[in-house]
Amino acid sequence: MKILAAAVVVSALCLPAASASAQDVTDPQIASIVVTANQVDIDAGKLAEKKATNPDVKKFGQLMVTDHTGVNKAAVDLVHKLGVTPEDNPTSQSLKAGGETNLATLKGLSGKAFDKAYVDHEVAYHQQVIDALDHTLIPGAKNDQLKALLVKVRPAFVSHLEHAQHLQAELSK
Amino acid sequence: MRVSSRSIVLSAATVLLVLAGPGRGVAARVPAPATYTVTMDSSRFEPAVLTVHAGDTVVWVNKDFITHTATAKGHFDSGKIAEGHSWSYVARTKGTFPYICTLHPDMKGTLRVQ
Repeated sequence: MKILAAAVVVSALCLPAASASAQDVTDPQIASIVVTANQVDIDAGKLAEKKATNPDVKKFGQLMVTDHTGVNKAAVDLVHKLGVTPEDNPTSQSLKAGGETNLATLKGLSGKAFDKAYVDHEVAYHQQVIDALDHTLIPGAKNDQLKALLVKVRPAFVSHLEHAQHLQAELSK
Repeated sequence: MRVSSRSIVLSAATVLLVLAGPGRGVAARVPAPATYTVTMDSSRFEPAVLTVHAGDTVVWVNKDFITHTATAKGHFDSGKIAEGHSWSYVARTKGTFPYICTLHPDMKGTLRVQ
């Protein structure tokens, strides 16, 4: 089960992020990737708020909901201001599918197994989103304001990754 | 004896000067309380290190997309400052206070109160 969940994470996040190069990606596609990536983590966070056993994991889930909601609001506001219509693309579709699979997996787990699977996924997810920001989204953004938004949110994703890694270490004790 | 209105005015002015004098002297030695701003943006405090005098006010302004706090455990704690909001603190206690955002603990700042 764990191996399956890990394989899903890898296939959902690594491959599309690696396949979409900075040259190919357009601003409407970036907008879609950003909104989808945030929404996927909001949905997982909402589940963790309800189902997590460890209070620190529960609090992390709450933080993911508030932080990614804040980022998404800023992204949607900017997209509206710029008149960009988010465009579905293989990366955003895979993110969405990966998010749905993750939710399905998590819904079947409880107790410590849920906490561990959620946190493991959060570590992998944030690492992949940071990689996508660095290699695809930030270098690929054509509009300066969109690029600035991505640069501005990056440190929060790094903070989330470190937080999730800290939880991962705590849970493995 | 007749007292001219002119001398009353002069006397009054003298009294005012005498009253104002020491007050101005004190003001020169202890600067009036100032207000400083620390911006929270891109998950960073700017400036990261701020030095103020006791009695000054520090305002943390959240210009980020996400909620932050300014927390020096046991000294001051803003609680959650939502995006677009701010929190004021009158720094009365002298010392050096490292602080963090409790939500994003890698976000660090230092307040020095002289």
